[in-house]
Amino acid sequence: MNFTLSTIRKDLSRWRQDLGGMLLWMSIPLLIGGLITSMMDSGGGAKPHGVLLMTDEDESFISGMIAGAFGQGEIGELISVEKVSLEDGNTRINAGDASGFLVIPAGFGNAFLESEPVTLTLKTNPAQTILPGIISDVTEILLDSGFYLHEFFGPEIETINKLIDDDTGPDDLLVSTMSVAINDKIESASEQIFPLVIDLEIVEPPPSEASAVPYALLFLPGIILMALMFSANGIAHDYWVEREQGTLRRLVITPGQMAGFLLGKALAAGVVITAIGGVTLLIGFAYHGVTVSRLPSALAWIAVSGIALFAWFGVLQMAAGTQRAATVVTSMFLFPLLMAGGSFFPLAALPDWIAAIGRMTPNGFVADRLTIEIIADTAWTIDFQSWLIVIAMAATGLGACSLRLRSGFARG
Amino acid sequence: MLSVENLVKNYGDFVAADGISFEALKGTVFGLLGPNGAGKSTAINCISGLLKPTSGRISVNGHDVVSEAKSARQSLGVVPQEIAIYEDLPAVENLRYWGKAYGLRGKELDARVEEILRYIGLGDRAKELPKKFSGGMKRRLNFGCGIVHKPAVILLDEPTVGVDPQSRERLFDMVVAERDAGACVLYTTHYMEEAERLCDSLAIIDHGKIIAKGTVAELRAQLGARDVLQLSGTFPSEESRSAIQSLVTEKIHDLEIIAQAKDNLTLTLSNGSHHLQTIFDSLAAAGGSVTETSLRRPNLETLFLLLTGKELRE
Repeated sequence: MNFTLSTIRKDLSRWRQDLGGMLLWMSIPLLIGGLITSMMDSGGGAKPHGVLLMTDEDESFISGMIAGAFGQGEIGELISVEKVSLEDGNTRINAGDASGFLVIPAGFGNAFLESEPVTLTLKTNPAQTILPGIISDVTEILLDSGFYLHEFFGPEIETINKLIDDDTGPDDLLVSTMSVAINDKIESASEQIFPLVIDLEIVEPPPSEASAVPYALLFLPGIILMALMFSANGIAHDYWVEREQGTLRRLVITPGQMAGFLLGKALAAGVVITAIGGVTLLIGFAYHGVTVSRLPSALAWIAVSGIALFAWFGVLQMAAGTQRAATVVTSMFLFPLLMAGGSFFPLAALPDWIAAIGRMTPNGFVADRLTIEIIADTAWTIDFQSWLIVIAMAATGLGACSLRLRSGFARG
Repeated sequence: MLSVENLVKNYGDFVAADGISFEALKGTVFGLLGPNGAGKSTAINCISGLLKPTSGRISVNGHDVVSEAKSARQSLGVVPQEIAIYEDLPAVENLRYWGKAYGLRGKELDARVEEILRYIGLGDRAKELPKKFSGGMKRRLNFGCGIVHKPAVILLDEPTVGVDPQSRERLFDMVVAERDAGACVLYTTHYMEEAERLCDSLAIIDHGKIIAKGTVAELRAQLGARDVLQLSGTFPSEESRSAIQSLVTEKIHDLEIIAQAKDNLTLTLSNGSHHLQTIFDSLAAAGGSVTETSLRRPNLETLFLLLTGKELRE
């Protein structure tokens, strides 16, 4: 333990002299993140796209208007409506194959025209963050709009509905009369406000979490992971520095200090990575107004994950035959991982199959859990299994580093 | 104190160490001499535990380096040929770090680090970063890091390569001081004058084998009082050989050919300066011509030449 502490002190003392490098590891993600966030805030970012499954048991003109409304304008760019059977819809939403599943019950049109209460069922996908919130918001707005339309234009809508049911076309007089009536009502519409009759019941999950998260905030975990990845890789390069200056060779001939050395280096890396991630996190929290009560849990997650990333970047660094090759090899892994793991686009904004792959990357896994930790109502929401996985990642990575050091890397 | 018995190290078909055996005693400096690639570093690496011997046995302070590696390493201090220090860590922190690596703690560590700083002449620059030091100062710190734990056996692998004369003298003094303090020092070099000056006994190694071994006095005795005469020029092989053989028979009875090629000839003989004209005349009569002459008094370098037919630094 004494030698481990000594190694921590030694490495922190050495790395402290390279403050410029550390600032670079932090400033590049902040710069990229700042640009992306400002683009998102100004509405210029990539938009998510989802599928709304719909079972229309009513199949009336009125229910058709609901389906049609989802295909209009900007909502249509975000959401595709797919009509399915009740059974198929339930199966697919339970499998996470869509963003939401809306059931319009039989008799909806009549209830609407008769001003009677009616319940629509919307099931949302708990694995997605943004689109289910949008769908539930849009559905509520549509129903509110429908209510007011009915209050103002009830007779006209009923007339149109009958014409559709009778399959007969309107004559010119009817069209003119209705146009004049609609025009008169629009002029007086602003004065009329009534309580809602139709209500929407959201079955699952409670939509408040997702809908409360600003889209730009979802970029923060990816940006932090970018800083962690840059710093973990940069610090792991120290194995090459130590090899070139002969200190690894000297270490190998000491009496059994390899484990203490590796643990000390990993903990020192953890301190630096946590500091860099912590500053990035604080800047993000301040910008997005996230409560600092999440800071300890988020920092702990960053520290353990940072050590795991450092350990595996160490393995990659030492797997290469030369310093130059090590730089190439780690770059080959670093940038695709950043891309797939949600550092440039949040996983929630990626197509489902890409997001699923992204969550399987080490950084994507860490970013996904960090997102949960940041947006959840309470701190320490990351599950025990995830903690175990990153601890196991760190342990196996350091074990692999130890093997590589002993198998010839340290000797040079 | 340090015992190497029949050490063999193979890399595939290449034999880097071929049955090396020697013993170095407490309070002595044992020299391992040989040209680059002779097998010195292989032997050092096997002793320090960096390489596992193919066969043979090595013990350091009574501990086998393979079966009792930890105890053997604890007794060993290695000063590598390449400087192996943290250039971005103050000198005193370097010494403290390597001291801790060998288990020194607390007051014992503080006292030893202070002692070493004075010993290597860096007491007043202890808090400075080695990257600001001269090459000689770095060498001294490298030496200090290797002996900070007061090892019973010290391995010095070509410690004076690239060192200025002043720092070299200081290193010699430190080696002698360690020896006088009771350490067993294994000193590898390809500078014969260093070996002659420092070593109590030595082994000459070439192509992975020990070709001569003993004290400096014993090895000198192998040479007798013969000089080494090296000639450059043109020497027709058969005619030159016949001319030299005639000289051996008729005039210079202890003359010997050590090495012969078209453009050089190496001979050994007693009182070489007295016979130069005779040899030149004889070679000229055989159709040869001499353009350059070198006559050397007997020393370890000429012994190596005598044993191998080549220069130590080739």
